[in-house]
Amino acid sequence: MEKKKVFEGIKIAEFAWVVVGPSSSRYLADHGATVVKVESHKRLDTNRVNSPFVGTTPTPDSSMFFGRHNPNKYSISIDLQHPNGRQLAWKLIQWADIVTESFSPGTMEKWGLGYEDVRKVRPDIIYYSSSMQGRGGPHSSYAGYGQNACNFSGFTELSGWPDRLPSPPYGAYTDYVSARFSAFALLAALAYRRRTGQGQYIEQSQFETSLHFLSPPVMQWQINGDIMKRNGNRLANAAPHGVFQCQGDDRWLAISVLSEEQWGRFCQSIGQPGLTLQPEYATLAARKKNEDALDKLVTDWTLRHTAEESEAILQKAGVPANVVEKPSDIYNDPQLKSRNYFTTLNHPVMGDQKFEPQSCFILCKTPRELNRPSPCLGQHNEYVFKELLGMSDEEIAEHIIDGSITTQLVGKMSTTF
Amino acid sequence: MVNEQTKSALPGFRVLDLTEGGCMLGGRMLGDVGADVIKIETPSGSPSRIAPYYKNIADPEKSLVWFAYNSNKRGVSLDIRQPEGQQLFKKLVGTADAVLESFAPGYMSSLKLGYEDLCQVKPDIIMASITPFGQKGPKSNYQASDLTIWASGGFLNDCGDPDRAPVWISFPQATLFGGAEGAIGALSAFLYRLDTGEGQCIDVSMQEAAVSPNMNILPMWDVAKIEFRRVGAVSYVPRTGVKQPIYFRCKDGYVMILAIGGNDPYASSSERLVKWMGEFGMAPPWLTRINWWNDYNASTLSQELADKVGQAIEQFTLTKGKMDLYLEGAFQRQILVAPVSNTKDISEDIQLRARNYWVHLDHPELGQSLPYCGPFIKMSATPISYQRRAPLIGEHNREIYIEELGLAEDHLKALRDKKII
Repeated sequence: MEKKKVFEGIKIAEFAWVVVGPSSSRYLADHGATVVKVESHKRLDTNRVNSPFVGTTPTPDSSMFFGRHNPNKYSISIDLQHPNGRQLAWKLIQWADIVTESFSPGTMEKWGLGYEDVRKVRPDIIYYSSSMQGRGGPHSSYAGYGQNACNFSGFTELSGWPDRLPSPPYGAYTDYVSARFSAFALLAALAYRRRTGQGQYIEQSQFETSLHFLSPPVMQWQINGDIMKRNGNRLANAAPHGVFQCQGDDRWLAISVLSEEQWGRFCQSIGQPGLTLQPEYATLAARKKNEDALDKLVTDWTLRHTAEESEAILQKAGVPANVVEKPSDIYNDPQLKSRNYFTTLNHPVMGDQKFEPQSCFILCKTPRELNRPSPCLGQHNEYVFKELLGMSDEEIAEHIIDGSITTQLVGKMSTTF
Repeated sequence: MVNEQTKSALPGFRVLDLTEGGCMLGGRMLGDVGADVIKIETPSGSPSRIAPYYKNIADPEKSLVWFAYNSNKRGVSLDIRQPEGQQLFKKLVGTADAVLESFAPGYMSSLKLGYEDLCQVKPDIIMASITPFGQKGPKSNYQASDLTIWASGGFLNDCGDPDRAPVWISFPQATLFGGAEGAIGALSAFLYRLDTGEGQCIDVSMQEAAVSPNMNILPMWDVAKIEFRRVGAVSYVPRTGVKQPIYFRCKDGYVMILAIGGNDPYASSSERLVKWMGEFGMAPPWLTRINWWNDYNASTLSQELADKVGQAIEQFTLTKGKMDLYLEGAFQRQILVAPVSNTKDISEDIQLRARNYWVHLDHPELGQSLPYCGPFIKMSATPISYQRRAPLIGEHNREIYIEELGLAEDHLKALRDKKII
């Protein structure tokens, strides 16, 4: 059978917003699925109202924060508070194979759009709900972002320097962890549906999901009674292991010496072969004991070179090292270029912009593709209601008149960051 | 058995898992949703059997990293560097649907076990290769570690205090992302195979996975030419450079409060926080006069005001404990507050307990069952179940080589003597 994309023909109604849900569906969108975002002018996606904006005046259609997370998708704008808006949502759900949502638990049910309502007419629907702390239990109502979850799931405490307050991972880190697991679950559900014809309900607590990226430290407490502590950039079984300052303005090199062999080559490369014989540095145990002095010694070398030079010297000797890439480095990274990581697409408001895939892999027969820039708010109302859902112009006009299809912002858009 | 099968998302889907380190998570995810995952390691034991150890006893059979990322797998030992080991591996491939591996690019091909070689044995095989930079390209042969991959993705640049080096998360993350991407890729390829009968290979780049969490940092450069520098424990407004304090010391630790404005839910949350402070006489008049929508948005907020607000909030948080601030703040007052939890706090969390999160798996050789993080997601028709603890070295050699592949007893013994298994 001729098939160019893995998920050609798979239809997703996306009520989820911000990062987790929208990133999960993108694995399918990268490979041919049709994803329709359900949005509203009355309640803008958090990503639409935050930086960076193209142009001088922020608008809902000019944030590349939103853009980065939503290429390859369509957008419709409807008011779910309006009964006729919910009627449209219901139609879209009937069209879909997969529904995603991340409202506070209970919201979709209140609107008659919950899983139990949908499955009565569509037993094959795959319905995914994601929330901070999951449904049921005393904290199910917890509202927040990945920036919150990063703290109660332990990532913040484990980031930074032992002699200071924690220095948390930037932004909504757990969103990026959670999206991997939920995308995977959607695919597993598709495989099950394919065999049995049955859909199912997928329920995610981002707290529970994210802990899988810290499970050994959690077990370390529960089994051994040891609380893992943040330790800068050090690692128990390696030295030197850290991020070292280089020549230039805030330039740094990450170095990991993972074996005695690498230690020998490292010493050669920095012109100090004799170090391997010095008792303070001759063995891993000795280097761990004298790690402060060792780090200073490494910095003495890195400070005499640019980050790029020292990366090249160490790589030539087979020692793991990489420039701490800044955003400008990422856009110029030759490796990312060779994998066509960025795709320039023309956005109706933002003009040519560089978009990224969500899938960090290339399937050899059906590679990931970015075909459409992120959508403007409600950009595809006509296409979706008419072409995908088969509604008439008159019907659509009625929804616009009664406000259940939204077309205008309420007041002026304000930004948080 | 039939019942068991219908409850699995991937019954009979056999995966050979050759990965190491965090990449082992990929096979674990496939095993969790019902695949038959066979972890293959060298006869002397996998190099991923590392610390932390059960009761801090340094023993490859007591590695908590191994336990965590290899439950729901069976395990065999096999030296694929030796010709007879390669033959046996190909025999296994003949029975398998997918292979996951995380060796350096070209290594499997050098053993005549590359994708093309395996297609000779099993034409519709799926093969996911997880490497730091991908199979081809100028950096594909780079030596790398979890830390250097983190650096190559740019997320490392985003994190840490401004006056010190950029900092990672003390438990390595990049290879875990790699494993998860490998699992998603393998399952995508499986769905493609169901439609077409064809397998394919999957080329995962962990560098790309480490680019992913950059949130809004990358386009800041591309769109506005703002080269982001790490800001530490604050919320950052790129257009003005204002840094808003959001981490506060309290009696027994720290909390994060998203005391920011401009939009809801932030603005209303901050307003409620000020009201709470007021009840304790800790909201000075200038603070109560702030309009969190108009005076405290990205365009209007000054650094001076942000600092002043931050100090006032910390005065308040210092009078309370972490859990009081969290429980009363988040659940009774709808304030965007989160405790900075350590692994002990997480283990005692009442929400995780109420949802019966923790799962115990029996470890007969340790004479006890051990607690594990529970299902990564709840699936109604195909619930994730914990069938088995991680395998001991070569635990299922007999079961798989003799009972399933049909090797003779003396053949197995010969392989063992030659240290091939």
